[in-house]
Amino acid sequence: MDADQNPSQAGTSTLVDIAAAQDPRAVTRALREQPLFRVGEDFCAITRRADIERALRDPALFSSGAEAVNLGNVRPLIPLQIDPPKHVKYRRVLDPLFAPRQMAALEPEIAGLVNRLIDDFARTGSCDLHTQFAVPLPCTVFLTLIGLPLEDLDVLLELKDGIIRPPGETLAEQEPVRAETAQRIYRYFEDVIAKRRQAPSDDLLARIMNAEVDGAKLTDEEILDICFLFIIAGLDTVTDSLDCFFAYLAQQPEHRRQLVKDESVIPSAVEELLRWESPVPAVARVATADTEIGGCPVRAGEQVMLLLGSANTDDSAVPGAHEVDLQRNPNAHLAFGGGVHRCLGSHLARQELRVALREFHRRIPDYELAPGTVLEYTPGLRSLHTLPLVFQPELEG
Amino acid sequence: MKIRLDADRCQGHGRCYTLAPQVFDADEFGHCRLLIEDVPPELESAARTGADNCPEQALTIED
Repeated sequence: MDADQNPSQAGTSTLVDIAAAQDPRAVTRALREQPLFRVGEDFCAITRRADIERALRDPALFSSGAEAVNLGNVRPLIPLQIDPPKHVKYRRVLDPLFAPRQMAALEPEIAGLVNRLIDDFARTGSCDLHTQFAVPLPCTVFLTLIGLPLEDLDVLLELKDGIIRPPGETLAEQEPVRAETAQRIYRYFEDVIAKRRQAPSDDLLARIMNAEVDGAKLTDEEILDICFLFIIAGLDTVTDSLDCFFAYLAQQPEHRRQLVKDESVIPSAVEELLRWESPVPAVARVATADTEIGGCPVRAGEQVMLLLGSANTDDSAVPGAHEVDLQRNPNAHLAFGGGVHRCLGSHLARQELRVALREFHRRIPDYELAPGTVLEYTPGLRSLHTLPLVFQPELEG
Repeated sequence: MKIRLDADRCQGHGRCYTLAPQVFDADEFGHCRLLIEDVPPELESAARTGADNCPEQALTIED
């Protein structure tokens, strides 16, 4: 940490930079020397696995409410920013829609899409994996699933980035962009919902609109608050994961060959790469009462980051945490968070990641980073702006 | 061997039924449902794998 810097700024940038670091494991390993990393008077991060688990499982004390993180929204996002007991009513509607069996049924569709995307570059011998694969794959799957027009993807990506990666260096610069983008998201979905009331459809959005909770349908505001979260949660994190996975495998040919040689390794490899890369390095909470973490005081109202990536590589809880073992067992990682707010889309994400690794490596088993590539990971959520790969072109026929 | 599920702790990560479908199944919410509580010797290893991979420690083995 630079001694000249204001400690609060240095702390914030350390947190933001976990995702952007070439080796986030080294950053979080240093942070774990203390149970609590204090960023400022009202902002801190929990660093160790056992404490992170405790916080994840105690939403009454470590609330996921709207005060935990500013995403420009004017009402709590559903279900992320609603805590128990109300939280369960939304999860009972949403969980079945994203349950493993429903997601497994998407496999042929996902495999077809993966192969169509690969068709576009397999014979050229090079690709930008980020723009040609990691962005279109999960976004196409997700928009199709919800029932939004694919031609709206560019607009939706811009809206998502306006919330997750607003331009500007400081909160003062970023917050107006978030607030304005949020208003555009509300307007976009108000329009979508109004059109759906005129012309009902049969997709995930329709099922949410028709769902009954305690004998009543969800209100338009509740549906908006679900859709808002869908866009920012559904259009970024699988892209991040694919960027991280393929960048890793491009640089670790031994591990890549292990997948190519034995596809049955892929499911456990997905879990291990999720643990290792932790594309969502942290989740945000707010303390509802004065408490302590490992003897360090935390005050009511403080923002508390739970460093999932740190929990996943905490060698006091995970044997051999600093080695990548694609067949790791057990692997009880927290890459999807934990407790009641466990990632709703985790089964969809896993399905996409497994199919992507399998189909890609069947057709392009050997690849590496294009010469001269310097990987620049993004802050906040760990992805890449570009991931140029080179490989032997696929033959015709 | 017996296996116990703490349904309040289970959050539907799905690691158990993915890794050991002989012992665990998913309910409509994706949460764990035990297929058996008394585990025969041939399924002990599967039951342990499911329990050890649960991020919420919702599954307990009683030997």
